[in-house]
Order: sequence, then structure tokens, then C-alpha cells
Amino acid sequence: MTPTTPSCAIVGSGLGGLVAYTTLRHGGLAPVEIAVFGTDADPAAAFRANAGAIRQRHMRSESDGHCFARTFPGLAVRSALRDRSLRPLVDSVRDRYRPTVDEFLAHVAEARAASGWDASFRPRRVEQVRAVGGGFELDGDGPFAHVLLAPGHAGLAFPPGLDEDPRAVHAYEPHGYADEVAVVGAGMAAATEWLNALAAGARVASVRRREPERRPLNVERRYFTKRGLDGFRRTGREERIALLRGFVAPSYPAGPEWDEPIARATEQGRFRVEPEVNGAAQVICATGFRRGYAADPLLRDLVGGHGLDTAGSWIVLDADSTVPALTDDARTLALAGACAQWAHPGSDTVVGMKHAARGFLRRVMRWRTR
Amino acid sequence: MAYTLSGRLQSRLAAAQLPLVAACVLCVVLPAWWPLELAGLMLGVGLVLDVVVYDRLLDYQPGSAAVPLGLLELALVMAAVRAFSIGAPLLPALGFFAGSWLVAQALGHAGLPLLRLSYADDGGELGRIGAGLAVVTLTVFGTAGGYAWSQLPPTVHLSAGIHQGPIVITKREHLVGERGAVVRGGIVVRADHVVVRDVATLGGDYGIEVDRARHVVLDGVQVVGAKIDGIHVRQSTVSIDDCRVDSPAGWTQGIDISFSAGMGMSMVHGCTVVGGMQGIVVDSAEADIHENRVSTTSFQAISMTEMSMGMIAENEVAGAVGAGIACVDQSMCMIEDNRVSGTRPDPTSPGLERQGGYGIISDYKAEAELADNELVGNAGRVGVFAGAVVTPAE
Repeated sequence: MTPTTPSCAIVGSGLGGLVAYTTLRHGGLAPVEIAVFGTDADPAAAFRANAGAIRQRHMRSESDGHCFARTFPGLAVRSALRDRSLRPLVDSVRDRYRPTVDEFLAHVAEARAASGWDASFRPRRVEQVRAVGGGFELDGDGPFAHVLLAPGHAGLAFPPGLDEDPRAVHAYEPHGYADEVAVVGAGMAAATEWLNALAAGARVASVRRREPERRPLNVERRYFTKRGLDGFRRTGREERIALLRGFVAPSYPAGPEWDEPIARATEQGRFRVEPEVNGAAQVICATGFRRGYAADPLLRDLVGGHGLDTAGSWIVLDADSTVPALTDDARTLALAGACAQWAHPGSDTVVGMKHAARGFLRRVMRWRTR
Repeated sequence: MAYTLSGRLQSRLAAAQLPLVAACVLCVVLPAWWPLELAGLMLGVGLVLDVVVYDRLLDYQPGSAAVPLGLLELALVMAAVRAFSIGAPLLPALGFFAGSWLVAQALGHAGLPLLRLSYADDGGELGRIGAGLAVVTLTVFGTAGGYAWSQLPPTVHLSAGIHQGPIVITKREHLVGERGAVVRGGIVVRADHVVVRDVATLGGDYGIEVDRARHVVLDGVQVVGAKIDGIHVRQSTVSIDDCRVDSPAGWTQGIDISFSAGMGMSMVHGCTVVGGMQGIVVDSAEADIHENRVSTTSFQAISMTEMSMGMIAENEVAGAVGAGIACVDQSMCMIEDNRVSGTRPDPTSPGLERQGGYGIISDYKAEAELADNELVGNAGRVGVFAGAVVTPAE
């Protein structure tokens, strides 16, 4: 018989929450067994705003960067079937397939509708998680035996001194382009902004502390499966902290679609690299998000309230993204998204979110079948 | 995909199941063992590559690597098929390989990810299913191997010394002689798939007679003093390897393969035939006469006659009478790389041109295709008679 009250709670109604939700539904849980807490019923709301702000047209992820529980069929197969074209499959085989943002957003809407997400959604920001007998209370509501926290990014990160500068706008905030633009940062968002500003006719100064790496994904491919993760998890605490810091080095994919416009603009004197912002009329901070558990009030309170083990700015997690001190046979507390990097270097990607979701599902199913 | 070693092996075993079932069905339907042998080789080559090469060299295996890796495996499997002498016909075998490869791709990209949620996360590992697959695979090959073993013919060992014959073989078996095993009065084979190995015969009308039997193997046999034919083959197919036949003077022949047209190719390879009237005779049959030494016959050394077809190559013929190698009576012969020496005219047929001591003759509408033969010290080189043809023309 299907229980009538939720045993599982997902805190966060973004993409990490949706991935966890579709995975639980795939595992056989009914919508009534799952409560999703968040501020927006649209799981793509934050992503849509960010992607729209930087005018992103293609995802950095690949065919398997989708929100359904099963890997297959991926976005490439769906695209091939929809368009009756082999091109997406060939590109996928060559690791060259990049879905468009529109395709991805349509897919998120489909996953939302197909999974019954809205039936489980509870519009509320959760500010405190407390372990109690039988599970966890969320702001006094509960208890829920199994809770997955997917709070998303903790807010936009500005370089020191620029957060109050009237010329500064974050890349993920709505903005236009002045004639003279300084773009701070050298990652995917920064590279996108270089091209956007050049296309708008601006002169661009790229302000960077170090040269970006050129790689297709923000984390090396091997870290997306067990083989690479096994090595990652064998590292000691200090070594892992160093590795994780290395992963945040700025990078964007290689390819002529990036290089050629910049080369042309450089020849025309419209693109240059600068060490400082200097006197630009507009400063676009493509510097990503605030990082670390301490930047997120919910996580900071969780760590402080339960004395959780931390390493650097990361909460220490087990391999399945669960919090060891608060997870046992009767209850589960798991993290997903950027805050789960201790368990999975690519935890802020859709594939990384699936890793956490599957670990969470295993725990839930073990508990249900006992 | 970044496979773990265990994931590679388990995925390989999973992909092998459908081809294994197909191979078992084909084995029954054909009936032949090659499908299962081929499936086993494919699996074996794949597993070895997984352990020795792929796991070490391919941290991450892009989808685009599937075709080059498939071609590498195909080349190695083909080499292994040759090395193990597996009788797989080329096109069906290629089809089987291609089908199995497609199944593996479909499973790896779609089937297994559908079956197991965390297939990609787990580096291709399948959990308990993986262990089950190993058991199933071992069971299939164990069962097939056990059945094949149970179907092996009995091996009869002939001890050293003289045994009174004739020995008549009417069931599939292997007759293997110890060093010095001799059968007086000859051996008669009347069953398919019989192997006679390392046995000598002494006397008898025929040293070894093969009568209405297919796929008979005579390996390392010695025949001495047979009154008519050393090895006498009728309506049969044989493979004769490394034999020695000593024939007495008179109306005797060393090896005579006759009246087997349409039954398939027989082979005589690496034999030494001495004496008798004719050395090796192929009459209304298809045969490959290769790398033999035929000497001191009182008539033709090697003869292919009466609409026979075949190849006579790399033989050494010495001291024949009339003709060294003869292609006669509408036969079609490829005669290549032979060395024929010392052929003399037949003294019993003075003035008969075709018995004039030629190294090679083509007689009565026969077609002989010659290439690179060495003819030394013969009374004549190449003779062509009665509407026969040789190419290139002499």
C-alpha cells in the first residue's frame, strides 16, 4: 500500500531537486511520498535566468546531461528522433554534441510534467534542518526519514572591491553592453560574455588572474564515472582539498566558435587582456558563484547545529553524497549540487546531481524494503 | 565511458550472451561447431584485450573508439581462427562478428543503461547480474565442451610389433600406432571421419583401402609391399599427409584415388612414393597433389586422368617412364613449381610418341595450365596430344 505522508523531502526546487525527484519516482515512490520545498515551482527558473543573462545558447553538458532518471535515451537520441537526423548521434559519438539551451529547457519542462513534480511541490524556503527521532525536521515540519538538500548556489560572487562599484554588474544579472567593457573572469561565462560584447559592438578588456584552461567539461571526464571517482575518493583530506581547488580553475571548451571571433577582434584592436579593470565604463563580473558551505545559511546552520565534519570549505560526505554523522539505517541526509563536491567533483553538473540522487534512492529503497 | 576493469569484463560478458545463444542455435541447425568456436574466440580475444590493453590504455573510452577497436578485435579474431584451424566460412563468420558487434554497441549505449540505472556511473559494472553472466557463460561453454568431448571418436592405440590384418574400420575412430606398429595384410576404412596415424602396413592387395568414406585422414602411414595399390581410395575423400609407399615391381600403384568426382577435394601432401608402375593416380576425382617425392616408377609418376580436376604442385619426380606428370582424358590440371627429372621413353611402346619420356604431357582433350616447372634431363619437355591443351603454349 502506498503511504499517504511523505517520508522523503527534497530541499531545493532547482535542477538538483528535479533530478532527485525523477530518480525517486523512477524507483517507485509516489508523489505523495515526496515533499519538495523551494521558492519557485519551475525547476529551471534559476538556470533560465542565469543562461538568459549571459545569452547562453548551448549547454556545456552533453547528451546525458538531462533530468530523467535513466541515462538512455539521452538528449542526442531524443533530438535525433525529433528532427529525424543522425547528426546528433554522430556528434554524440564524437563527444561533440551540445544541446541548445532551448532544448534543455523544453526537456526540463517535460521532465517536470511527466514526473508529477507539481504534486509534491511545497512553496517554502527551508531555513533549518534538525535531526530528530525518526529523521529530520525542516523548520519544525516533519519528521522526514530521508532528506536531500539541493540548495543550489549560495549567491553571485563579486571580486573584492567591485561589489559596491556602480559600474559593475554580474554576468548572471540582466545587462546590456557599453562601448568599453571589462569582463572579469576567464571561465565559460566570461568567454560567453566576450563574444556577446564583441557581437554588440563593444571593445572588450578581459581581466584575468590566470589563463583559462581549454577543456570540454568543467571537470575531467574520468571523474564522471566510478573509475575516476575511485581514485578521487582514495585521496587524503589535504590532497582532496587541493584537487577540488584545482577543479575551480577557469576553463571553457576549445573550438573555432570561440577562437575565431576573438582572434578577429584582437586584430581589429577590439579585444585585449588586462591585469586590472582600469577605467572601463562597464565591468561585467563573470566570476561565478559564492562557494563553500559557509556561504549558504542553511548549510552553515546545519554544520553548526550538528557539529558536522568539514574540510576547508566543504562538508565531508560519504561516497554516496550522504552526511555520515546523520545517516544510518533509519534515516538519510544527503547533499546534491555544488555543496556535494566532497563526494563528486562534478556535483554541480546534471550528471553529478544524478550520482547523488541515485545514492539517495539506494538508501531510501534499502529502508523501504527492510 | 570510463570503464572499471570489472565493468569492462561484465559488460563484455553481457554483450556475449545473445551471440552465444545464436551460436548454440546455429550449431544445432547447421550442424557445425564453428559458430560456438567463433563466439568463444571472440569472447576470449575481447576479455584478453580488456585486461591487458584497454584497461591500461583507455582511462576514458569515447564512443568514437568503438569502430577502430572493433576492427582491431576482428583482425585478432581472424588471426586466431587461422591459428586454431577453425573451419568457419568467411562471409558467415564476418556476418556473425558484425552482428555481435552491433549487439554489443546497442547494449552498451542503450540496453544496459536502461537495465541498470547507475550503469555509466558504475563504470559498466552490473552488480549481481555480472556474476550471473559469468556463471551462464561458463555453463554454456562447459556444456558445449562436455558435449563435444563426449562426441569425440574413440582412439585405438596399436602397440609396437606386427598385428595380423586386415583391420577393418567401420565406425568413426582414431587408429594410432606406436613406433614400430605394423599391420600385416592391410587396413580397410569404411567410415567417415576416421583417422589413421603412424601405422605401417605390410603386404595385402591394398596397404590401406578407403571405401565410400568421407573426411578420412591418413597421417604418417607407411605402406610396404602391397600387391595392387599402396593406398587405394574409392568414392571417398581423404587427406594423406607425410606417408611413405614402397611398391613392388609389376602392375602396382603407390596411391590411387578414383571415382570420387563431386565428393570434394582429396589431398596428398608430403608423401614419398617409390617404385611400382605408377606413383600417384587421380582418376575421376578432385585432388591436390602437393610437395610429394615420386621416384623410380616403371610408368608415369603422377597422373590425373578421366575428367579429374586438381593441382599438382611443388612435387619432385625422378626416373619415371613415358611421362613424369600426365594430365589425361579431359582432365583439368594446374601443374606448377614441380621438378621433373630423368624421364625415359617407354621401351615397351617403341615409336608411341606420347610415351616418349616427356617431363609433362597433356593428352586427349585435357587442359593443363603450367607454371614455373623445372624439367631436367628428360627425353622430352612437354608433350601435347590428341586435342589437349597446355597454357601457356609450349
